[in-house]
This record gives sequence, structure tokens and C-alpha cells, in this order.
Amino acid sequence: MITNKISFLSLVLCLTCFYACKDEMDGPEVDNFDRSVMLSNWADNIIIPAYTDYVEKLTVLSNEVEGFQVDATESNLSTLRSAYTAAYLSWQQVSFFEIGKAEALALRNNTNIYPTDKEKIVNNINSGVYNLALPSNFATQGFPALDYLLFGLGDTDEIIVNALSQEDYLAYIERLVDRMLMLTDAVLTDWTTSYRDQFVANTNSSASGAVDKLVNDYIFHYERFLRAGKIGIPAGVFSGNSIASAVEAPYSGSFSRQLLLTNLNAMQNFFNGKNYKGGSNGPSLDAYLDFLNSIKNGADLSTAINQQLDLSRTEIEQLGANLQSQVLENNNKMLVAYDALQKCVVLLKVDMLQALSINVDFVDADGD
Amino acid sequence: MEDPQMQDLEVPENYSFIRDGQSTVSFSGQTARISMGEELISAMKEEDVSEQTLLEMFRNEKASGADANPFSEASLNESTKSIKSKVAASKDLFSANTAGSAVIKADFESWITGQVDEIFANSNQLAAPGIAGQIADGESVRYVNALGLEYNQAVNKSLVGALMVDQILNNYLSPEVLDAEDNIENNNADITEDSKSYTTMEHKWDEAYGYLFGKSVDKTDPTSDIGNDDSFLNKYLGRVNNDEDFAGIAIAIYDAYKKGRAAIVAKDYDVRDEQADILKESISKVIAIRAVYYLQQAKNGIPADGNTALYGSAFHDLSEGFGFVYSLLFTREPGSSEAYFSRVEVDNFLEILLSGDGFWDVTPSELDGISEQIAAKFDFTVAQAGS
Repeated sequence: MITNKISFLSLVLCLTCFYACKDEMDGPEVDNFDRSVMLSNWADNIIIPAYTDYVEKLTVLSNEVEGFQVDATESNLSTLRSAYTAAYLSWQQVSFFEIGKAEALALRNNTNIYPTDKEKIVNNINSGVYNLALPSNFATQGFPALDYLLFGLGDTDEIIVNALSQEDYLAYIERLVDRMLMLTDAVLTDWTTSYRDQFVANTNSSASGAVDKLVNDYIFHYERFLRAGKIGIPAGVFSGNSIASAVEAPYSGSFSRQLLLTNLNAMQNFFNGKNYKGGSNGPSLDAYLDFLNSIKNGADLSTAINQQLDLSRTEIEQLGANLQSQVLENNNKMLVAYDALQKCVVLLKVDMLQALSINVDFVDADGD
Repeated sequence: MEDPQMQDLEVPENYSFIRDGQSTVSFSGQTARISMGEELISAMKEEDVSEQTLLEMFRNEKASGADANPFSEASLNESTKSIKSKVAASKDLFSANTAGSAVIKADFESWITGQVDEIFANSNQLAAPGIAGQIADGESVRYVNALGLEYNQAVNKSLVGALMVDQILNNYLSPEVLDAEDNIENNNADITEDSKSYTTMEHKWDEAYGYLFGKSVDKTDPTSDIGNDDSFLNKYLGRVNNDEDFAGIAIAIYDAYKKGRAAIVAKDYDVRDEQADILKESISKVIAIRAVYYLQQAKNGIPADGNTALYGSAFHDLSEGFGFVYSLLFTREPGSSEAYFSRVEVDNFLEILLSGDGFWDVTPSELDGISEQIAAKFDFTVAQAGS
């Protein structure tokens, strides 16, 4: 009996030491929420399926480019555009996972920097000498460049088909799509071969922990690319003057609101841990906040965030499908939608980060 | 000598001083040099600009010494003033150190020519250790030399020290300048310069004011828009003042300028020099805070995995930090005849930043080391300055 007690105590002491040593190595554990289960849910049920879907859509796009190369007709242009639309919507599901290989390759900068630089695109095409790997070519590639090339070269489809029938234009489109596919393939392959396990195992709560990093990437995307990029900049929130042409996908017309809503929905689904392929939700930030809330008896932050995101969606649904027209016709509605999105920045960046004990790892550039 | 007619020290609400119904405040030459600096740093970003044009903007003359017209503003072209003649040109630090001044002027010219020869010449390649080129900083593109340094940032931020701070602290606020020749007698007797409303001493003090507030919208009350008036000292005083750890420093500096100027009117030179000391300490501190700020920002931006494509953000901060570290050469410790940091100390900092592969192999601990050494001379901590 006595022996047993001693053994038990030794075991406890050993375990204490084990955890203490582990803490020193990995940084402090702030709570005992099971981060690895959440990370698995993110990787296996959301991130990898979303990238898999996106690669499939890019592959279809690549095939349709080839189809158009073989037979440049208005009908094939229409098919090509549908493939572009599907791929662009799928991109909105992965654009905020700028971590690991996606970060290393600057996937978002190489995929969706707008407004696109149409003069430079035409220069690239005409000169035939360009290096898409240079940062100075961010604005000449990706979906915004395709938006211009597939929709912006003329007023009628006939004119556009004729313009695109030039070999160097088609070659440029092919290179853009090949590059998007090549970069995304590298990201997906990294997730499925090695990064997934590394990500799920990286449960510590220091700045280099997977939760801390991805939550920072999530908020940075929400603030910079969703709130500012899709609404704030075209609505003139930062410059004082609205810039209608700065909306996402201006050439394809009534597509910009759908892109915005898709991105917003994807971000909210991630917050709630919704399985990409449907089915029940797994653990994510909402569950993590609820877990902490049950300890601290604070305000119900996950509900507040969901309500604010719902409200933002309602405001965005009040906008026209073409955000460029919306800016020109009634920019005030854009500002109202921006304000709804902005309110959630505070909830995410201040309240949520405080609850999760995560530090912000990005700063607003000082602009010079 | 008879005692001067002491007057009560009246500090006005605004930087506004009147004699016989006329303003006695004038600093158009300082405003002009700030404008020249703005045009120079702006031109350094235009890839089609020639080395010759950039050097003419720095010198406001041709290589032959003939008159040049490099600026967009006619008044700047007509001017005989130049940036170069006032770089590292203060009475206190450089009148007997022309060799040191020449080295500094040559540094600026090497950065200016490097912008064309090294940076524009290689702008269409990716930067890598030992290779000049472009690198992404978020969505922006930065153009760096083989060591990771942006020369336009080196020029911009080093000018804050070499032109503005040196002229203010080591020249116009110096008793050697304020009290030169018969300035005291003339000021005591209200003898103004020929066909001017001001005494020479008043004018010297105003010239010190002009290097900070020369582009302010309301030059008599410049505090409301501080930080938005130029790309040099005014801008960075604004940035420091916006950090809650240093809130109020802009007003303190403005008040010292006003009180010192009022003291000249009242012929109270002790009070004047006390205000000059406040300015020496506070303006030196602005440079030091900004140097530490950028080094700390850079430290946070160094990619943990060493991915060379992600160095752009750190390089941009290091390039700005480089200029502010260089500017430490022109700070001024009150009660001393020297800057807070010697040339040897600053060279040591710069060597740490630029040795080997330059910014590519700078380590966080090196940046902390420099930051600590800078902060140690002032009453702020690295943590306060760093965020």
C-alpha cells in the first residue's frame, strides 16, 4: 500500500517534470483545449479538401485554355470563362491559408493582386520578354490578368475572340494558368506529403505555433484582403476618393459581389469549423472561444462574431452584383457594408486574440 | 559693457514675433532645402532618371560647376542654395572637420550613383545574397543593392540627420553661431540686419526652426499637422509623437523653440541656451527612437525559415534603420561638444549591418545589441521605441 503510494507519487512527479520540460521547449500552454484536434480538423476537413477542389478547378481551366487554343470560337470562350469563374470562386476558399508553402511561394500575391496592370500585360505580351517570378509582375498575372484578357479586350465577344486569336495572347494566358497550377500544386503536394503532420503537431502557443500563425494569417487576410481590398479601397475609405476600377474582377462585370460573398462565407465556415465537403462541424475558433468562455465566464464572443459576420453578409447582399457599378451609383452602401466588416475586425483582432492569448504578428505598414 | 535692457520674457501662443508691426520670422532658405530634398528622394524612385540629374539635384550645379536647373520648381532652380553644401556642414561639428564632412558628402553621392548603377541596372532580376535586384515586401516591390540596402531610403533617412538635425542642433542653436561677431550687441540694441526686420541672432534661431517646420501648413502654429508636412524630420517627429510612450514630445519641442526665441527678444541668453539644450536632447532622441524602432521592426520581419523571398519587409525596415543609425552622427548631447555617438561607434553599428552578405545575414541578436547600445544613452527602453 505504502509502496503503491510512493510509486503513484513518483509517477505524478515524473509527469510533472515531463510536462514542465515540454513547456520549456514548446512555450507556455495557456489552456488545455486540444489544439491538435482543431488543427487536424482544419487540415483534413477544410484546408486540404479546399486546395484539392481548387487544383481540380485550375486543371479544368487549363484544359479549357487548350480547347480555346484549338478552336477559338465564341462558344469556347464562354466555356473558358465558366472555368475561370469556377476557379476564381474556388480560390476564395483557400486565399486566407497563406501559411507554409503558400507563404513561401507568396501564392496570394501571385494569384490575386488587383487592380491588374493592363498596360504592362500588353507590354509583356508584345515584347515576349518577361519573368512572372518577379514581384514587379504580381499585377500582370493571376485571376485579375485573366479577368482583363477574357473580358476586357473589347466590347463584344466577337472582338474579344479575335483579339485572343493572336498566338501571343493565347500563349500568355497559357503561361498564366500554368503558373497558377504549378504554384498551387506545390502547395497542395506539400500539405499532403509532409506539412500536414508538421502543422497538426505544432500545437504550442508561441508565435511560431500553428494556431497562432494561422489565426494571424486569417485576421490579416480578413482585414487587408477582404475588408480593405474588396470593399474599402474601391469605396475610398483610405484615400478619401472612391476608386470604382479597384474592385475585384472589374472586367467580368457582375461577379465581384459573388467573389466577396464566397470569401466571407469561407472565412465564417472556417471560424465555425465547417467541413468543406459538408456534414457536421468540427472544432475550430468558435469551439475554442466557447471552451475558454466556459472557464472565464465572459461574454459570448463566438456568437458575437457570427452575428457580426451575418450582419456583414446582409449588408453585402444589399449591394448590386457589380460592385464597380455600386461604387459609381451609390457608394454609401459600400461604406455601410465596410463598416459592418470593420466592426468584426475589432472582435477578431482585439477580443478574440486576447481570449486566445495570441499576439498580432503583423503591423500596418507605415506607408513609406 | 552696459547691461542690456532686460525685458520680461513673454512666450507668445504661436511662433509669431513682431517688430514695428512687421513679422521678424524668416526661414525661406530652409523651406527651399527641404523642397530640394523632397524632389531628390522622389526622383530616386524613377527608373528613367539619370545619374547626372540626381547628382545635380544634390548639388544644384553641374559637374563642371556651372548652374544647373534640375528641379521642377523654378524658385529652386534659381536658388544658389544646395543640399550638398549644408550636408555635414555645421559650425560645431564640421568647421574644423572638413575631412569628416567630405567623407559624409561622398557617402551620399555614392548612394545616389548606386541607385542608378547598381539598383536600376539590375531592377529586372530577383535579389539574392550578393545580387542586387527586386524583392517583394508584401504586395510592394523593393529594389535593393547586393547587400539588401535600398539606397533611396539610405539617402532619405540619412538626410534627416546630415541636413536637418546637423544644421539645427550643431549650427543654428550653437552659441558659436547665435553669438558670432557682434550678434549679442546688435540684439541687445535691437539693431536689425540691413533692410530686414530681424536681428541676426533672431534669424539664426528661426533658421533652426525652419528645418523642422519649414513646410508646415501654418508655420506659426505647426503642431496640428505635425508629421504630414515633409518626408524628413517633421515626418518622423510626428511618428514618434504618435507613439503613446512619447506622446507630447512634439509640443515640448515646439514650446522650447518658442521660449528660446522669446528669450532672444528678451535678451535673456541663459534661458535661450536652456531651451537649446532641451532641443538638443529631444531632437537627438527622436533620431535614436526611430533608429531603434526600425531595427526592432526588422528583427520581427526576418523570416524564421530563412526563405530569401520573404526578406523584403525586413530589408525595408533595415534600410530605413540604416539611415537613422547614420543620422546618429549628427545628434548632439547637451553640455558636450560632441554627438551622442562618435563616428567610430556609428561605423561599428553600420559594419554589423553591412558586413558579410549585409542585411541577408543580420541576426536578431545583432539588432538587439545595436538597439540596446542606442537606447542606453537615452531615457527610453528598446521596448518603448520598438513598437
